Amino acid sequence: MLYLFGLVLGTGFAVSVAAFAGALGQARAVASAAEAIARQPEATGNIRTLLIIGLAFIESLTIYTLIIALFILGPRLPSTEAVMKLLAR
Amino acid sequence: MEQAHGSWLDFLYLIKLGPFQVGSLHLPRFRLLPHWLPDAIPLSVLVALLLALISYLGLRRRERIPSGLQNALEMAVEGLEGLSRNLLGERGSTFAPFLGTLFLYILLMNLLGLIPGFKSPTTNLNVTLGLALIVFVAVQYYGIKENGGLGYLKHFTGDIWWLVPLILPVHVIGELVRPVSLALRLFGNVTGEETVIAVLVAISPVVFSHYLHGVLVGLPIPVAVPMMALAIFTGVVQALVFTLLAAAYLAGIMEHA
Repeated sequence: MLYLFGLVLGTGFAVSVAAFAGALGQARAVASAAEAIARQPEATGNIRTLLIIGLAFIESLTIYTLIIALFILGPRLPSTEAVMKLLAR
Repeated sequence: MEQAHGSWLDFLYLIKLGPFQVGSLHLPRFRLLPHWLPDAIPLSVLVALLLALISYLGLRRRERIPSGLQNALEMAVEGLEGLSRNLLGERGSTFAPFLGTLFLYILLMNLLGLIPGFKSPTTNLNVTLGLALIVFVAVQYYGIKENGGLGYLKHFTGDIWWLVPLILPVHVIGELVRPVSLALRLFGNVTGEETVIAVLVAISPVVFSHYLHGVLVGLPIPVAVPMMALAIFTGVVQALVFTLLAAAYLAGIMEHA
């Protein structure tokens, strides 16, 4: 029971922190891209390409955390009956 | 490991062929597809056949002024060639078939999972890893071809000679981690979207539920539909990002030529 609790708590926190940090980084990237386009609208194509690639790089770090969470939680989650038995004690 | 098969192509696993006798070769009765084959493989073959079919249908009558399917295909090809030329300069035209195929193949594979009864082959890590390895081998091959063996190695060392023992491992590890990151990015995004849609479908509320001849029936509220719209967007963006990164890696290793 403690094992399951620790597992879920750990992965929950991990994915939340990764999502928060990723969103922060991406927000800065988009903000600077918007500023750059506002300063020089004729470079929009280059800036847009750079923005998409940069966002993909930042996003992939968050996705790594999600994948690890899936690998940790995937085969270890108990079936509903086992959880009901645990809770009934 | 038990492979779970759940798509319209499951009938392919039940087809048995044979027995055959070719000269002195005796083949016993065998299955067309072994049971341990993940269903990502027949599904990805289906995507490839679909692409080939669309291309064939669009090119049957070549008009000078295209219309209909031929027009759509020409627009797609022009767009992809423009993208390659944007990222790789003038020699982007030689890479346009590779990058264009990459984009269309990954796009169709991502979107296939949204059709009920099908599963995205990109939810299988082996598929994305295979594509990433193809990009990796292509990048190294074109790097050696354009720069020569020595120039290709000098690409990893940088220009300052006394920093080489520091820069070389960093560059090599960075180069080796690229296919891993490409594969994991595509796999993680598509699997995440599919999982969310599956969970939403499983917990969607059912109204007007009643027993009809002993079976519980009702009207499910489609709460998964907005998520499927987001999954279309994610599929397109991830295909584009994969292709853009492949083009950027190619441009990066050929910049010295």
